[in-house]
Amino acid sequence: MATVAEAPAPAPVPVSRDGVASVTAPPSPRRRRSRQWRHPVGLEIFTWVYLAWSILPICLAVLFSFNHGKSQSAFQGFSFQWYISTSSKTPSVLHDAQLHAAVLQTLWLAFLVTIITVPLGVGFAIGIDRWRSRTSSNLNFLMIFSFVIPELLLGVALLFLFQQSFKFVALGTPAEVAALVVWNISWPAIIIRARLSTIGRSYEEAAADLGASRARAIWRVLRPLLMPAIFASAVLVFATCIDDFVLVDLLSSTANSQTMAVLIYSQAHGGNNGPALNAIATLMLAFSVIVAAIGYVAFRLMTKGERQSTTEALTNFAGL
Amino acid sequence: MPGGTITLKQLTKRFGDQTAVDGISLEVEGGEFFSLLGPSGCGKTTTLRMVAGFEEPTSGEIILDGSDVGHLPPNKRKVNTVFQSYALFPFLDVADNVAFGLRYQGCSKAEAKTRVGEALELVQLTSYEKRRPGQLSGGQQQRVALARALVLRPSVLLLDEPLGALDAKLRRSLQVELKALQEQVGITFLYVTHDQEEALTMSDRLAVMSNGRIAQLGTPRVVYEEPADAYVADFLGVSNLMDATVTRSGSPSQPCEVTIGDFKVAAGCGTVTASGPVKIAIRPERVSLFGFEETGANRVPGMVERNVFLGNATQVVVRLAAGVSLQALVQNDGGAYVFEAGSPVQVHLPADALRVLAPGDSSVAEIREETFGDVSPALA
Ligand SMILES: Nc1ncnc2c1ncn2[C@@H]1O[C@H](COP(=O)(O)OP(=O)(O)OP(=O)(O)O)[C@@H](O)[C@H]1O
Ligand SMILES: [Mg+2]
Repeated sequence: MATVAEAPAPAPVPVSRDGVASVTAPPSPRRRRSRQWRHPVGLEIFTWVYLAWSILPICLAVLFSFNHGKSQSAFQGFSFQWYISTSSKTPSVLHDAQLHAAVLQTLWLAFLVTIITVPLGVGFAIGIDRWRSRTSSNLNFLMIFSFVIPELLLGVALLFLFQQSFKFVALGTPAEVAALVVWNISWPAIIIRARLSTIGRSYEEAAADLGASRARAIWRVLRPLLMPAIFASAVLVFATCIDDFVLVDLLSSTANSQTMAVLIYSQAHGGNNGPALNAIATLMLAFSVIVAAIGYVAFRLMTKGERQSTTEALTNFAGL
Repeated sequence: MPGGTITLKQLTKRFGDQTAVDGISLEVEGGEFFSLLGPSGCGKTTTLRMVAGFEEPTSGEIILDGSDVGHLPPNKRKVNTVFQSYALFPFLDVADNVAFGLRYQGCSKAEAKTRVGEALELVQLTSYEKRRPGQLSGGQQQRVALARALVLRPSVLLLDEPLGALDAKLRRSLQVELKALQEQVGITFLYVTHDQEEALTMSDRLAVMSNGRIAQLGTPRVVYEEPADAYVADFLGVSNLMDATVTRSGSPSQPCEVTIGDFKVAAGCGTVTASGPVKIAIRPERVSLFGFEETGANRVPGMVERNVFLGNATQVVVRLAAGVSLQALVQNDGGAYVFEAGSPVQVHLPADALRVLAPGDSSVAEIREETFGDVSPALA
């Protein structure tokens, strides 16, 4: 059975794309004739098995959040009780104070981290990309490096730092925000840099040529051009924060500032909230999906002038 | 518009150990249409970018209307650029694109509006104000880019292959428009192109560049008719280049005598005082063919190798008795065509069209391969 802590994995997206592409491609006569281009049956089966393997448990977890009974393995009819019930026997997300608080804390934390990380990351990216120097290439290396540091290591190091030296950063929300900002800043930085290199320098040069100073060129020309990428990275940071567990748990202070991820983790081992946990996990999944969908649609709208296929848009949106 | 003179003094730009521009000196008068012409990679764009302020010169001076601007940032120079890629702002409509720079000239809203209107009228795009650049054709975008620069009333307009991205037909009509526009507004145009026809038809004067240097500078007629060396002759259009020997030197007024194989012909020497082995050039349209019996001055016997029908003319490849092949262009005037392949002919090389060239650059052969490889395979 699925453990409820199964987080919504972003990975299946590109794979499903390949899978769909290989299924829907019309078999042209030439393709049938040439051995080299014959239908890759093995690959296709693998793709479907992989998709089933990664998505089925999530579907089951979601299904049991609507279970009428208390079981997480036998389906006893459809009900919304784990979301909205007021009965004291079945704690629902809406009326159980702890679950309720976890939802709000998660959103609040993700919001704080996003509004701090994205502007910092944008500045970082512009600095690295547009003022080339030795320092900037070192910074670039550091940024890539922070990508490969294990999250646990960063968390432990920060915990140590905040407890020993930087005591003004209180454990709980402030420490968690600080840690998540550090952990996530590479996202906007990398996405914005990718966008900067697609944009090129010609627009800034045109602005300078027309009389705009450096700062004005960035504000009037680069900012609107970067808007889709800024938005995309905000979505990404927000979505990553929603299901972050390691840093948040390590740097938390009291139980009443638990996020959904931490709560799910602690209750999945020995808790007895039953399908309410599935309900909260489902909500978490829904948040991530909604945020990503909003982000994607907005990205398409903002880059309407640039002709691109859905696949290209997805790739650009993910900053790859 | 008064002013608009540009003086470049020993302008040099190095990228690492590569010298992109190598000591260029030239003077452009106010209101002149001046072109920089040369093959890819010869440093035209780099020169233009230094004048615009996007590249800092390694050494040398850039003087605009008497003051050295070499180290000013682009937004402090009274020049504007039309980029090859146009670089129109995709998130602004046509009117806002054109109005972009007016804000920095302290223009009031009302004045900006009239000036944008005038600029769009100048480039005949009045009804396109509200469109985004993505909704315009290439030619229209090019005109918006032009309007966006002209609306600021610069004293110098820099254009980097502004027609490069357009198809041949549109190019030709925009060449005419652009030239007319330049005469109308009277602004100095510094124009970069690798298209010799474009440079010859539009410019008041032009500089032919090679490897970061100026190979020749002059009016289109002088550069075309009296190329300074084999490189220029070659770059400015299909030219027949032949080996010959100067047997009697001449002077600017007196033709010299050269020998091609066994045949003596008179040729113009210009300022070249060489003797001994040289290269001589003649353009295909100046070569004329006669029946084999019609001998005369400056005629050399040869044999027709190949005919290529071009529509308004026929390109004839003739092999001279001396062994060299050359091209002749015979106009199709409706008469019967008589020079079949294999027939012997007299090739007339008029003395005023045949030029002795100064010993050129060693890169000539290479350039020819690149530029004309497909047109003149038979040229030695
Ligand atoms: N930023 C740069 N860094 C290093 N080398 C450069 C740079 N810009 C130009 N170069 C080099 O300088 C030389 C001249 O380049 P430039 O762009 O001026 O050529 P061009 O005459 O404009 O050619 P084209 O007709 O292809 O545009 C080239 O060899 C190019 O590789
Ligand atoms: Mg160029």
